[in-house]
Amino acid sequence: MRAFELVEPATLREAAASLGADDSTIRPIAGGTAIVLMMKAGVFRPERLVSLRRIERRHAAIERTAEGGLHIGAMATLTALEHSADIRAAAPVIARMLRNHSNVRVRNVATVGGNLAHADPNMDMPPVLIALGARVTTISSDGERSIAVEDLPAGFYQTVLKPNELIAALEIPAQHARRSAYLKCTTRAAHDWPTLGIAVSLGDNDARIVISAATERPMRLTAAENEFRDPRKAAEAAADTVKIMPDARGSIPYKRQLVRVYVERALRAAMEAAS
Amino acid sequence: MSETVRTIRFTLNGETRTAQIEPHWNLVDLLTRLDLFGARESCAQGLCGCCTVIVDGTAVSGCLHLAAFADGATLSTIEDSHGLDAVQQAFIDTGALQCGFCTPGFILMTRQLLAAHPDPDDDTIRHYLAGNLCRCGAYAEIIEAVKLAAKRPKA
Repeated sequence: MRAFELVEPATLREAAASLGADDSTIRPIAGGTAIVLMMKAGVFRPERLVSLRRIERRHAAIERTAEGGLHIGAMATLTALEHSADIRAAAPVIARMLRNHSNVRVRNVATVGGNLAHADPNMDMPPVLIALGARVTTISSDGERSIAVEDLPAGFYQTVLKPNELIAALEIPAQHARRSAYLKCTTRAAHDWPTLGIAVSLGDNDARIVISAATERPMRLTAAENEFRDPRKAAEAAADTVKIMPDARGSIPYKRQLVRVYVERALRAAMEAAS
Repeated sequence: MSETVRTIRFTLNGETRTAQIEPHWNLVDLLTRLDLFGARESCAQGLCGCCTVIVDGTAVSGCLHLAAFADGATLSTIEDSHGLDAVQQAFIDTGALQCGFCTPGFILMTRQLLAAHPDPDDDTIRHYLAGNLCRCGAYAEIIEAVKLAAKRPKA
């Protein structure tokens, strides 16, 4: 890595103002587990990093909303989510997923905001949050806006966020009687990056089925959702229609066969999950 | 040194320290310049645990943690000890190391594990230590060592 300027503003608002409106060499850093890797690999060479670690502590809070949902500050670490009683009560699928996510040290510093802003298509968190119907609130010099997590990724490692826009918080709606599951297939160790991830949120009359790590970005499998009452049919519909992107962990035919197997398993897991 | 050099203050293994660092240094860069070699950069990707450092009571991968983030923090490394504790003794007694390269990371993570789970079962140990790699393959003995340390009184 080479030298860069590091600034550590005291507020989220100042942090957003410290980012350039049109300068890709200025980026925010939270836990750093993703961006430092990119810097080490030489794929990202910053002129300035804006550290978020000194911003108001409330941006790391995890709170239950009056409606029974969750309000999670973007700076909440994955470890904080994993062990939060509120998360376990309102969205237990998140805590279950995190147990097999990266490792303890990464979870200790990686933040939920950073996880979403990084837009790595090979991750476990985004498909789960999409299935739960989560939204992010963002802040920039233009003000605040709310974006569905489903609409956040624009492509491979790309989001719809503007260069000077920061994720401030994550909002997860009350799940009521919805039941959720996340199944991850890994081809090396259990905690590895997924070769395929399938998240399911099941209501009485609908299902949200989300694929990760096999497509350009995490996305809903609408063909499977339309057949959700019959897991076998849903899995076939998914495998027949999904546009697979191969990587080092699996070819197109291999991942397509995994989709055929894992969509069915994930739907059955959600049917058997506690609400 | 360039104009990006900054001075940080921190507590390292019980002593107050200051250091002049570059913003692109990670914790391992900082520690090796202070003649501490227990945290080693191995995979350089946060996967192997050889670079484990305890920052404000929390385990982090030193290879991915900017040294600048140590400003104001309390750091503890494998060198932070007076004699062997129950975990280190258990690793020796069970033969849970061969070359020893990964051992500081395993010892530090085991202490964190036992603080959170005083009587861990195999599944808990395997999950907690999944981010530590032992290239000599002493995993069976390491799991045995963790269980032995859990049984012994804390030093």
